[in-house]
Amino acid sequence: MTKKMTAVLLLICLALLPVCSLADGTLNVMNYGEYIDEKVIYDFEKEFGVRINYTFNDTPESMYTKLQTGVSYDVVVTSDYMIDRLIKENNVQKMDKSVVTNLDQLSDSVKNLYFDPDNDYSAPYLWQNVVLCYDTTKIDPTKVEEKGWSILLDPELEGHVFLYDSPRDIFMIGLKALGYSMNTESRDELMEAYDWLVKMNQTIHPSFVTDEMIDGMAQGEKWMAMMYSGDATYASMENEKLAVWAPLDGTNIAYDNMFIPANATNPELANQFINYVLDYPNSMLITVETCYTSPNEKVIEDVTGPGGEFEGIESYVPRTGYEKDEIYTDNELLRTETPELLVKVKLQ
Amino acid sequence: MKKSRASRVFSSAYLILILLFIYLPIGYLVLFSFNEGKSMTNFSGFSLKWYESMFQNRTMIESITTTLIVAVIATVVSTVVGTVAAIGLSKAKRIIRSIVMEVNNLPVMNPDIVTAIGLMLLFISVKFQLGMVTLILSHISFCIPYVILTVMPKLRQLDDNVAEAALDLGATPFKALTKVIIPQILPAIISGALIAFSMSLDDFVVSYFNTGAGINTISMYVYSMKRYNLSVNAMSTLIVAAVTLILILVNLIPWIKDKKTKKEEP
Amino acid sequence: MKSFFRMSYPYILWIAIFIVAPMFMILLYAVTRSGNDTLTFTFTLDNFARFFSDPDFIRVLLNSLRIALFTTIFCLLIGYPAALLIANLSDRAQTMMLMLLTLPMWINMLLKTYAWRGILLSTDFGSEFKVFIGMVYDFLPFMIIQIHTAIAKLDPNLLVAAYDLGANKWKSFLKVTLPLSVPGIISGITLVFLPAVSSFVIPKMLGGGDYVLIGNLIEIYFQQTGDWNFGSAISLIMALIIILAMWATKKLDRSAQED
Repeated sequence: MTKKMTAVLLLICLALLPVCSLADGTLNVMNYGEYIDEKVIYDFEKEFGVRINYTFNDTPESMYTKLQTGVSYDVVVTSDYMIDRLIKENNVQKMDKSVVTNLDQLSDSVKNLYFDPDNDYSAPYLWQNVVLCYDTTKIDPTKVEEKGWSILLDPELEGHVFLYDSPRDIFMIGLKALGYSMNTESRDELMEAYDWLVKMNQTIHPSFVTDEMIDGMAQGEKWMAMMYSGDATYASMENEKLAVWAPLDGTNIAYDNMFIPANATNPELANQFINYVLDYPNSMLITVETCYTSPNEKVIEDVTGPGGEFEGIESYVPRTGYEKDEIYTDNELLRTETPELLVKVKLQ
Repeated sequence: MKKSRASRVFSSAYLILILLFIYLPIGYLVLFSFNEGKSMTNFSGFSLKWYESMFQNRTMIESITTTLIVAVIATVVSTVVGTVAAIGLSKAKRIIRSIVMEVNNLPVMNPDIVTAIGLMLLFISVKFQLGMVTLILSHISFCIPYVILTVMPKLRQLDDNVAEAALDLGATPFKALTKVIIPQILPAIISGALIAFSMSLDDFVVSYFNTGAGINTISMYVYSMKRYNLSVNAMSTLIVAAVTLILILVNLIPWIKDKKTKKEEP
Repeated sequence: MKSFFRMSYPYILWIAIFIVAPMFMILLYAVTRSGNDTLTFTFTLDNFARFFSDPDFIRVLLNSLRIALFTTIFCLLIGYPAALLIANLSDRAQTMMLMLLTLPMWINMLLKTYAWRGILLSTDFGSEFKVFIGMVYDFLPFMIIQIHTAIAKLDPNLLVAAYDLGANKWKSFLKVTLPLSVPGIISGITLVFLPAVSSFVIPKMLGGGDYVLIGNLIEIYFQQTGDWNFGSAISLIMALIIILAMWATKKLDRSAQED
C-alpha cells in the first residue's frame, strides 16, 4: 500500500521535472515591468529562432535579491549603482564586443560611465533624470525654478505632492537641498538630510507612491510630483497643464544598462540580444513605448526633431554636463541605512 | 416565526447592500475593460480594443497559463497527498496525530509572508534553483494543510465498522479504501480540492518569493505594472465570466440530475 | 485497518521538509548575524533587541495590530447581521447568496485591489482609510461564511422552544442564537485578523508607501536592504504574536463552549 502511494508520488514529481528543463534555445531576460515594447521580443525570437523567457521585477534591489537566490538570467536590465555593485562583486561577465557592435550608434552622454569606463560589462538601455513635474495652473513656475527642491517645504503644497517611494531617491532630495552630494559617505550629512525630510513630511504630508503617480499626474490628481523624466514626459503629453523642471540644486541622472550575469547559461545569445536592442529600429520602438530616453544618438535626434514623437517636449532629453548633477554610486552607508530611515521619516 | 413585511424589506436591502459592496470592484473592472480611452476613472466610450490587445500580449497570456498550470498541479497533488495523509493519520496513535496536526496547522496560521520567506530560504540553502518547480512545490506545501483540515473531520465521523466489515469479508485493504472509505468522504475531498484551488489562484506573496526566470503568475503581472493597463481589466472580465460559468454549471448539474431522477420515477 | 496508518509516512516526511525546515531556516537567520555562510555562524539575539528597543518598529507593530483589529471588528459588525439574515432565507435563496458571496473569492486578490485603487484614486480618503476599505473588502466574505455555517447548524427547535417559553425575539437571539454561534464568530475572527495583521500587498497597493505595516517592513529587509537576518527576526516575532493570539482564541473558544 505505502509502496504504491510512494510510487504515485514519485511519478508526479517526475512529471513535474520536464516543465523546468527547457534549456536550449531560450534566453532569460529580466527587466522592469512594462519597460519594453513587446514587439522587440517577438521580432528577436523570429529572427534568431529562439524563445525569450521574460521576467519583470520592480526595483534594482529586488533584482539583486533574485540574482542572489541563484536563478540564472542571460540578460538583466538594472540601474547604474546596482551594476556598479554587481561588477565589484564579480557577478557580471564581459560582453563580446565583436558581437555588440551597435555600441557605435550610442550618444556620448551615455557611454563610458564611471562604473564601466569602457563599456566592457554593460550597454545602455534607457536613461533619465529625476525632475519636478507640476501643474502650472496651481504653482507659479518662477517659484519652482527659484526654490528648487526646497519648494517641498512650502506649506501651501500640503496634501498636493507625490514623492517617488524609493529610499535613495527621497534621500537624494534631502541631500541635494542641503547642498551635499547624494552619494555622501558621512553619517552626519545623512542624518541632516533625515531631519530635512522629517520636516518636509510634517509640512506637506506627501503621498509616497511609485508608478501610480504617472496616471495620477496625467489626470490632475495632485499639483506636483517628483518623477523620473520618462514618466514626466508621458504625463505631460497626456496633460498639457504640466511643466517639468530639473532643480538647480542638482539631481540624479540615472542610467539603466543591460548586462550579462556571470552565471548566464546562454551568453552568446545574450550578446546578440544586447546588440539587437541597441539597434536604431528597436531602440526607437522601446523609447516610443516607454517615453524614457533612448541611448541611440540617431533615435534621440529623430524623436525630438520635426514630426518626431517627442518634438517640443523638453523633459525627453535629460540635462547633461551640469556640475551639480550626479550619478548614484554603490554606497554601503546609503544602501543599508536609507530604507530604514525612510520608514522612520514616514512615521514622524 | 412569521416575518413582518418591514423586516423582510430591511433584510433584502441589507443583503443587497453587502452584495453591491462585494461586486463594486468587479463591476468596475468589467466596465472599464470596455473603455475606449486608457483611463481607469473616465469612461469615454465603448470599445473592445483592450480585449484585442490582451490577446496580443504574450506575457499576460502566459501569466494566465502559468497561474492555471500551477493551480491545477498543486490542487491535484495536494488533494491526493492530503487525503492519503488524512486517512493514515486518522488511524494513527493519538499522540502522533495531534503532533502532526499541530505542525500541519502552522502554514494555515502563519502569515503568508513568513511561509514564503521560509520556503525561499530553504530552496536557496540547498541550492535548488528557483523556477517552475519551486513555485509548484511551494503552492503544494501551503495547499495540503487545507485539504487535511477539510478531510479530517469527515474521516473522524466515519464508522470504522464498515471498513472493518469489508476487510472481514475478504476485501483487500486497497479495495476497502477505494470502495468504502473514499466514497464516504468524497464530498469533503472535493471541497478540500476546491479550497486548495482557490488558495493557489489567489496567492501572490508565496509566488513572488519563490519563482524564477520567465515564470510569472497573474498576480505578479499586476503587481509589477507601471501604469493602468486596461488589458488587465479585459483579462479580469474573462476570468469573472469563466468563474461564473463554472459555478453555474457546478450548481446546475445536481439540479438537472435531480429533475431527471424525479421524472424517471413518477 | 491499523496498517492504513502507514499511509501518513510520506506526509510526515513532507512536513519535515516543507514546514519544519523552512521555519528552522527563519529561526537560524533570526538568531545569527548577517554575512555568515551556512557553515560558520555566530549566535546572537541582537536582531530581537534591535526590534524591541526601537520605538518606531514598535509603532509599526502596533499600527498593524490596530488596523487588523479595526478590520476584524468592522467585519464582525457588518458580517454578523448578514450571516443571520442569510440563514433566515429559503434554502434556495441561501444557496444563491452563498454562491454570490464565494464567487469573488475565485478572482485574484490583486485584481480586486487593483480595481479598488482605481475606485479610490479620485477620492480624498487618507491612506489608512483606503487600506482599511481594502482589508474589509477582502476579508468580509470569510467572516460571513464562517458565522453563517455556525448559525445554519442551529437546531430550529431550540428557537421554537425559546418562543414557547415566552422569550421574545430579542431575548431568544441573545440567549440561544448568539451563544451558539460563538464558534463561528471565533473562526471568523481568526480568518480575518491573522491575514490582516501580516498583509503587505493591500497596504502597498492602496496606502501607497505612506502606510507601513509589519509585512511591508519584512519585505523591506528582504528586498531592499538585503538584511535577511533582521527580516527573519521580524518574521519570527510576527509569527509568534499570531500563534499566541491563536492559542488565546482557542482557549476562549473552549471556555465559551463550556459555558
